[in-house]
Amino acid sequence: MEARLSVLTPSATVERKGISQTSLLALIIGVIIAVLVLPPAIILVVRSVAITSADATVGGFTLEHFARFIRNPELLHTLSNSLIFAVCSTIIGLLFGGSLAWLVERTNTRFKGLAYVTTIISMGTPYILYVSAWLFLLGRSGPFNDLYRQITGGFRPLFDPYSLGGMILIEGFLWSPLVFLLMSSTFRAANAEMEEAARMSGATVFRTIWTISIKMAKPSILALALFVFIRAIEAFEVPVLVGMPGKVNVLTTEVYQSIKETIPPDLGYASAYSVVLLAVVAVLLHFYGRLSRNAGRYSTVTGKGYRPRQFDLGGYRWIGDFLVLFNFCIVLLLPLLALLWLSLLPYMRAVSFAAIGNFSLHNYAVVLTSDYYRTLAMNTLTVGAVAATLGMILSFFVGWLSARRRPGGQILDQLATVPLVFPGVVMGVAFLMILLNVPLPIYGTIWALIIAYVVRYLPYGLRYTYTGVLQIHKELEEAAGASGATPLQALRRIIAPLLSPAIISGWLFIFLIATKELAVAVLLAGPSSQVVAVGMYDLWVNGQGGELAAFGLIWATIMALVASIFYFVAEKSGRGGLR
Amino acid sequence: MDRRQVTWGLAAAAATAAVGPFGLSRARAAVSADLVAAAEKEGKVVWYTTMIVNQAVRPIADAFMKKYPKIKVEFTRAGSGDTALKIINEHQAGRMMGDVFDGTATFSSIMPAGAVQTYKAAESSAYPDELKDPDGYWTALNLYFLTAAYNTNLVKPDQVPKSYDDLLNPKWKGQMVWSTVPEPVAAPGFLGNMLLLKGDKGGMEYIDKLAAQKVTNMSSSQRTVLDRVIVGDFPLGLMVFNHHVDISKAKGAPIEWLHMEPLVSAASLVGLIKDGPNPNAGKLLIEYMLSEEGQKVLASTSYLPAHPKVPATIPTLLPTGPKPFKYTMMSPKIVDANLKTWIKLLNEKFG
Repeated sequence: MEARLSVLTPSATVERKGISQTSLLALIIGVIIAVLVLPPAIILVVRSVAITSADATVGGFTLEHFARFIRNPELLHTLSNSLIFAVCSTIIGLLFGGSLAWLVERTNTRFKGLAYVTTIISMGTPYILYVSAWLFLLGRSGPFNDLYRQITGGFRPLFDPYSLGGMILIEGFLWSPLVFLLMSSTFRAANAEMEEAARMSGATVFRTIWTISIKMAKPSILALALFVFIRAIEAFEVPVLVGMPGKVNVLTTEVYQSIKETIPPDLGYASAYSVVLLAVVAVLLHFYGRLSRNAGRYSTVTGKGYRPRQFDLGGYRWIGDFLVLFNFCIVLLLPLLALLWLSLLPYMRAVSFAAIGNFSLHNYAVVLTSDYYRTLAMNTLTVGAVAATLGMILSFFVGWLSARRRPGGQILDQLATVPLVFPGVVMGVAFLMILLNVPLPIYGTIWALIIAYVVRYLPYGLRYTYTGVLQIHKELEEAAGASGATPLQALRRIIAPLLSPAIISGWLFIFLIATKELAVAVLLAGPSSQVVAVGMYDLWVNGQGGELAAFGLIWATIMALVASIFYFVAEKSGRGGLR
Repeated sequence: MDRRQVTWGLAAAAATAAVGPFGLSRARAAVSADLVAAAEKEGKVVWYTTMIVNQAVRPIADAFMKKYPKIKVEFTRAGSGDTALKIINEHQAGRMMGDVFDGTATFSSIMPAGAVQTYKAAESSAYPDELKDPDGYWTALNLYFLTAAYNTNLVKPDQVPKSYDDLLNPKWKGQMVWSTVPEPVAAPGFLGNMLLLKGDKGGMEYIDKLAAQKVTNMSSSQRTVLDRVIVGDFPLGLMVFNHHVDISKAKGAPIEWLHMEPLVSAASLVGLIKDGPNPNAGKLLIEYMLSEEGQKVLASTSYLPAHPKVPATIPTLLPTGPKPFKYTMMSPKIVDANLKTWIKLLNEKFG
């Protein structure tokens, strides 16, 4: 008895000390995250019911902003635009990316490498580049309309991309690489034996796809569909670049316009609008959470460690080949060629043989020698790297505290997930109001962007560290504790090294999305804190398509390198998908 | 309001002719050493500009930085409306970022908000009274002339519209594009020009007929409108800058501007933003841009200088050049009094 007590005592004190140490850690991290995450939500709610007077002072209570929101005669129109846009682009993205994922993961289609190249490059390329390329391709004088006019001999084009239809098509294309990436992990995990059994029992290729492949993937397809739908409701780039010039307004552009195109900015109205948007996204995310919990319902992979066999498309193989090539052309090759075309010409010109004589490298010379582009690139890389580093440091602690169910871990996890409900433009509005009111010299500096990005991408970083910690068995920490290490020592010496692949993946992921973020940056970047996405937006709006294309291609090349590193690290650490 | 208020152009033209034996002798030091020292101490200047970056802003900023290597020029380009918005927002929040503004409507938007600092530039003494404010709120930086332009591949010579009434021909329905930014040098100014030209009644009749032609609205710069005509998206663009057309034409673009009279003219007004972070560097940049040296840099980009002694690179762009044309001058007074009405009208009829 005596002996047993004496053995227990030291470990018990370590345990007690450990609890106080982790509690302190949880408290510190909790305060930091609360300070970062709560003010944006609070300021939006407060401002949405506060009277803002002409001299920009705030005071008094009013429901006028919400009343104006409801009374707005355009509201129903805007709402229906948003819904149609989100639903249809989700369908296109899913059809396009989903079928590609199935073909590449499960069948004997050829040219599979192209699908991965397309996806990796798309991860680092700012959306605005794709959008401007597709606008050129689909434009009234783009090659498609041109062909149509040559056939019909008339002047009128077949379609105008500056329309709801154009928005849907472009947003659908934009989403297809991510859908491909997420769906391919689903299909990879599915058991091929059922498809084989169906084929052997005499089912046709299409019947097998319909009754087995799609049915099995249905829960994850539904969850993914809702995810893409939410992102499309929040989307900013396509609505602002395609919708606004075509006078097709959606919810996010309404918020943007009430800040950016109204004198003085209608912060009360924008806040009310934002609060409504937050509520909508929160409800959708709630359903998404329920759906994605069921996503693994039909997982059929056992621990046998086999590799699913490929599904033989037989005589239909050429359809698969065609679809893979088609995707590669639409999502990568054609936009790249369009950008190359625009970058080589001194002024915007339709595609023709005659124009080739005009080629010059002038745009590249300007981009490579100009101070402006160097500053843009440096600011962006700095913002991305610092935001990713800070974001992953916070995610590391929160992920560990919540995965190990330490005191406060659950609350921290929920707090850190709050930013998910913020569409980018709403996050931008919230931080704009906060930074204008705090007595710190942050507004207009790159720190404004860094802080907003840390908050915005915290939930993504957390997904990496949380699942990463779950994969590390608790025994390791317990062994460390038994040998006298404090929890913080165990974190540093055991968890951190083992978690490093997940941390690196998370860092690169945040870095990649932070460097192409437009919605937040367009509201927060000042003249001394311009970043690439905002610079590209300015170039596009101001009519410098040639320089935009040249700079964009150089930038996309650099980012594609970062994205390939990300892809291989993520693959190695066993997480091919981005979830 | 006489549409033939040609005073500014005449002043510019008279002065152009005067560049001769006296042109070079005026090399007095307009900028004091104290100002330069104070500006260099600030080390940078933030310029909120409305000019197109690769065409004009970059050459001017580069030339300035070459002359004053210790001062970095940071610039942000947007239309007059957006630029004014930025300044007003910063002014209201008490977080000024910009030092210098320009633009055709920036001044009239930010003046009521109290965001302009008076500064009588020493260099402005060379400018005629019409091109500067007596109290030093602004000086003209450059002159603009706006008109319609057509794609020469798409419009055959015999089809080219000659007058504003030609634009009402059904064949142009859905084939025209313009910029709807809230400036006198965009769609609002077009409507204003018609009202000034035809009177309120005749003007409104014309505007109604034009609205039926379904002109495509773009909320971006006049440069992007011109690019969409050049690329062939539309055969006809309204309210584009004539010097933009000639800049592109020189590079081989299939584009030509029309002497559709009266053209619309306005000056870009440069001034100092109140409580800007770098007031001395701001003053120095203004002095430089208004100086003969700065105006020559501007002229070399094919923009139309406001300085009486600096000739335009392409004289045909001026109403007083070899191919004269009539125009309506959108003076600050007219803009202040009417711009809001025109913008409202635009939103009602063409929104």
